[in-house]
Amino acid sequence: MVRPVRSRSGTRLSLLRPSRRERAIDLLFLLPILAVLVGFLFYPLVYGIVLSLHDTRGFELTTFVGLDHYAHAIFGDAVFHQSLLNTVLFTGVAVVLLTGLGLFLAVLVADMKRGRTFFQFVFFVPFVLAPVAVGAVWKFLYAPFFGIVPTVGSALGLDTVTFAPLADPNMALWAIMAAFLWRFAGFNMVVYLAAIKGLPREYYEYGVLEGASRFQLFRRITWPLLWPQTFTLVLLTTLGTLRIFDMVWIMTAGGPSHATETVATDIYVTAFRFLQVGYAQAMAMILLVVILLLTIVEYRVLNRRAEMVSS
Amino acid sequence: MLLSVLAFVWLYPVVWTLANAIKSSADIYRAPWDLPWPPALGNLSEAWSRGQLGLALANSAYVTAMSVAVVLVLSVTAAYSLTRLRPPGRAVLFIVVLAPLIIPTEVLIVPLFSLFRALGLINSLPGLALVNVVAYVSFATVILTGYFRTIPQDLIDAARIDGAGRVDVLLRIVIPLARPGILAVAILVAVLTWNDFGASLVLIQKPEAFTVQLALSRFSTFYATDQGLTFAGLAIAILPPLLLFLVLQRSFIQGLTAAAVRR
Repeated sequence: MVRPVRSRSGTRLSLLRPSRRERAIDLLFLLPILAVLVGFLFYPLVYGIVLSLHDTRGFELTTFVGLDHYAHAIFGDAVFHQSLLNTVLFTGVAVVLLTGLGLFLAVLVADMKRGRTFFQFVFFVPFVLAPVAVGAVWKFLYAPFFGIVPTVGSALGLDTVTFAPLADPNMALWAIMAAFLWRFAGFNMVVYLAAIKGLPREYYEYGVLEGASRFQLFRRITWPLLWPQTFTLVLLTTLGTLRIFDMVWIMTAGGPSHATETVATDIYVTAFRFLQVGYAQAMAMILLVVILLLTIVEYRVLNRRAEMVSS
Repeated sequence: MLLSVLAFVWLYPVVWTLANAIKSSADIYRAPWDLPWPPALGNLSEAWSRGQLGLALANSAYVTAMSVAVVLVLSVTAAYSLTRLRPPGRAVLFIVVLAPLIIPTEVLIVPLFSLFRALGLINSLPGLALVNVVAYVSFATVILTGYFRTIPQDLIDAARIDGAGRVDVLLRIVIPLARPGILAVAILVAVLTWNDFGASLVLIQKPEAFTVQLALSRFSTFYATDQGLTFAGLAIAILPPLLLFLVLQRSFIQGLTAAAVRR
């Protein structure tokens, strides 16, 4: 076989073995990002660990207390337990419902012959709006007397005129969940939709010839082939939800009586209202560990499934 | 049919907010289903002046522009070096640059506040932009490495043989060919920065430096008794992103989902 004549081999060699000076220049392009990350991410992270091991007055370190803050958070702080439970529960439910809802909408929209762009627009709109705005709008949707949820309820004959889900400890977290689903479902839908458009038509045609029902086609073809998207969306939703602060803060500020407290709202209140800065940072470090653990577990489980599907 | 019902449910809260913005508070209570006619435009102008929304919009625009510009410079150079150059220890550097993806700002907000206080960056809009840069620059770099990898190496090699330097290659080949990726990152960072609430709540305390989100959060607590006014404030805050999205729908969707869609 005759290789095209190009001076390619020579450059490849010189690119393969650049001199130390050359490589140092290559490194210069990374210096800006490294400087910013070291100064404003890795340094605060290390300082955060130091902070979590100390008592503080205001934001100044006073005495070293070792792991006392961690011990108190893990064994002695009922509010933190509640906030951690709420955060993990909320994230778990959000992952399942958002994945399901996103896929459901994507399949429905993919079947449309016309108006795909319109539906894509409609379901994606809430994602563009700020969480503060979304939180405020939903707070009003739930508001007694003029909110749409109570008004619709009473029109249906239910006694809901004074019904206030955000003030009810048993309902508040799930009322926030509804707003959360409304805001993020469109994102998942668009990601799934982009992938569905790329699935090979022949698989479906063959399935139809074999007499498969629509559900079977979904179960045997669509769902397994979309596994890479499910994988990405589950990880993104987990990372995005474990840190949830803004919508909760606007809708309930963690209330009523900590029913919607998340770790992030707990950190904020503990550090900036009660000025227990070292203790708040210990909670933040625990949150970081939870994020790491859940991400690793999910990655492992989903990846194994992905390998099973491909084999 | 089912889809139309769902679309109605999805659109309703937005339409309801915009409609209530031009209703009087009395009408919001008395006639929640009536059309806002004649429109009570007084709400809008009162919300604009009482909430200092003009100033807040300007502040948000300033922070967003700065954040996008800095993220682009940092992530384009970083992604270029990581994919097309050979810095020593590239594999380790890759991990260092991407590790922040799993460290949310919420976890660092307390030490960041402490650091910013020491540097005199509380109430500083560039300081707020910096926090947003830190929060999104790794995401931006990952997305860009994906785009940069699709550029044929032969093209770059050829240019280098012809005597083009690294910066020439970046400016004349890589950036023009990766323009969709750069646009996607710019839109993503702009929307995320514009919508940020947590960092601004902690770092900005004086009203002259309020961003739109802070002004809005004040609205829903301070004027909670005057619904017409609050809805007007909400409408003013959601209209700019809504209109931009309407005009640039494709770019928005492409940019905002760039991290999750494979190319």
